[in-house]
Amino acid sequence: MSLEQLLAGRPDLWRGRATPAAVPAGVPTGYPALDAALSWGGWPPASLTEILDARPEGTLGLVLPALVRLSQGPRWLLLVDPPLPPFAPALAARGLDLTRLVVVAAGGDAAWAAEQGLRSGACSAVVIWGAGAAWRLVALRRLQIAAQTGGALALLFRGEAQARNPSPAALRLWVRPLAAGLEVEVIKQRGGRLGRSLRLPWA
Amino acid sequence: MHWLAIHLPKLPLEVYPGALASSLPLAVGLDPGGEPILLCNASAQGRGVRPGLAAGAARALAADLRILLRRPEAERAALERLAAWCIRFTPQVSLAPPAGLVLDVAASLRLFGGGEAIRAAVETGVMGLGYGCTCCLAPTAGGALILAEQGQGGVIAGRAALRSALAALPVSALDLDRRGRDDLAAMGLRRLADLLRLPRAGLAARLGPGLVRQLGRLLGDEPDPRPAFAPPDGYAGQLELPAEVPDAGGLVFACRRLVEELCGYLLGRQAGVQRLEWRLSHADLPDTAFVLGASTPGRDPAVWLALLRERLGRLTLPAPVRALTLMARDVRPLLPGPLDLLPELAQTIAPDSGLLDRLRARLGEGAVRGLQALPDHRPERAWRWCLPGEAGLWQGRADRPLWLLPEPRPLDVRGQRPWYGGPLDLGTERERIETGWWDGLEVARDYFVATTDGGARLWIYRDRHGRRGWFLHGVFG
Repeated sequence: MSLEQLLAGRPDLWRGRATPAAVPAGVPTGYPALDAALSWGGWPPASLTEILDARPEGTLGLVLPALVRLSQGPRWLLLVDPPLPPFAPALAARGLDLTRLVVVAAGGDAAWAAEQGLRSGACSAVVIWGAGAAWRLVALRRLQIAAQTGGALALLFRGEAQARNPSPAALRLWVRPLAAGLEVEVIKQRGGRLGRSLRLPWA
Repeated sequence: MHWLAIHLPKLPLEVYPGALASSLPLAVGLDPGGEPILLCNASAQGRGVRPGLAAGAARALAADLRILLRRPEAERAALERLAAWCIRFTPQVSLAPPAGLVLDVAASLRLFGGGEAIRAAVETGVMGLGYGCTCCLAPTAGGALILAEQGQGGVIAGRAALRSALAALPVSALDLDRRGRDDLAAMGLRRLADLLRLPRAGLAARLGPGLVRQLGRLLGDEPDPRPAFAPPDGYAGQLELPAEVPDAGGLVFACRRLVEELCGYLLGRQAGVQRLEWRLSHADLPDTAFVLGASTPGRDPAVWLALLRERLGRLTLPAPVRALTLMARDVRPLLPGPLDLLPELAQTIAPDSGLLDRLRARLGEGAVRGLQALPDHRPERAWRWCLPGEAGLWQGRADRPLWLLPEPRPLDVRGQRPWYGGPLDLGTERERIETGWWDGLEVARDYFVATTDGGARLWIYRDRHGRRGWFLHGVFG
């Protein structure tokens, strides 16, 4: 039993974690355990989230429940540079409204395309598969600002090796596949606690 | 105070790109031999060349003077394009060739905020399109035109003011033949004031009824009907560049003039376009052509210029560009959407089509796509690319992987079992898909959900035809 779990079992203990009053409500991830670990109660709204994953196709399953929820709105969902075509019947079966989905093959212009989508305000979420490209700190900061401007969720998949590099993202997760689900570690969270490791079953 | 006349004094030179500002002395005459100089640029004027000078005398003043041939058809085309642009101010635009336009603005004065405001708006707009002009607003069409031709811009408020403004003009401003002009000179009549003082009946007996009718039209005593200009169905504009432009980025500025002209034409017709056809002409190579598309008809120059900038950024030119052509054929009526009584309560945020247009302009038409699910058992046929926003036909299946490989990838087999970086655990479920013999893509496969050592779940199948090999077809994300 880890120290974290011991402490979590003592509701009478004040742990000095001052929750800022004005944390905006996040977009529910669809995984209650993950929602509980994040200070927004979901994906940080209008901010950049980085998901570090060794696999090039990233963890679409982790973000899919949030995309399904957002696809009910009037705005686009932009998928920038997915390494393979997402399989439409599987997405439709999970409730994603495919008429809101736009797949962009940006090639070398992924950063530009993502920024356009975020800034325009016409997208509720922009998912970027960025493992193939080198993202400089400036490019990441631009994404974060564009997400704020357009009020959109920016979800960026990158390789595991990036965990050591600094990033302006509001939230960074490190994801590893397990036999029956996913292991998710929070490695950066604005205004929240780090080092939390979660096991999520497949949704 | 109803008629706005536009006179373009430099039109014969302006149809030659860059001629006005050229440092070489240039002049326009109808015939390079005999005809006197009609117009000359600043450089020629600096050397003493004046309009009306004989060609020989002009050449004596400036030996390197180039006398250009007049291009009446180009002048007419420019005038018509300008007329199409002017339709934004009033539907009643008439051509007054060779270098004038008359607009009946009686019904537009209130909308544009009065006579001086509309006159200034027209003047600024025409100059923005690259033409020098004099604009005069007067109670009669003929009066406004003749004043503008004489370089007197401004607003003439009433009939009395018009009469006194006309009185100051020389008789040469009138449209007379040579004999008529000689007659007037012989009678000692130099200004219009001298003519207006004379009794009309005697004037008609001596100089013919034509002159009297002309005076009557100028003053508004006679009707002066003018046929309205009918704008063409499509737009086609051409611009010759003053100098060859070697790179695509430098073309944006030149294109702006054509785009502004097009959007003015569209505004006047209450129409929009979805496709702009561009053609860039080179010196000795075939033209470079491209089409700029938008998902909804539009006429906002800023939007089109933003799209154009992205498209030009992607373009590599085989050679420097000499001329631009812009064509818009599918002109469609564009009706303003209904306005809400309480706009702040309207919750429907329409997805911004401009975003997708921008992405398409920079990344290419095929780079921005939507996905559609189709009812077919074969995974390859169960989806297809479509335009974003197109509705699919199938609700899909939940037991399918999130990713499908474009082509099934053959898997190694070791010890009778499929291998993918390690042995695969096939699980217990098996799904047989055997169909499609009628349309050329016949499949007979057994699908499994396989798990790797690392925990990744793969969708693999064993072909039931031929070599009975194993293939990787999808990845559960």
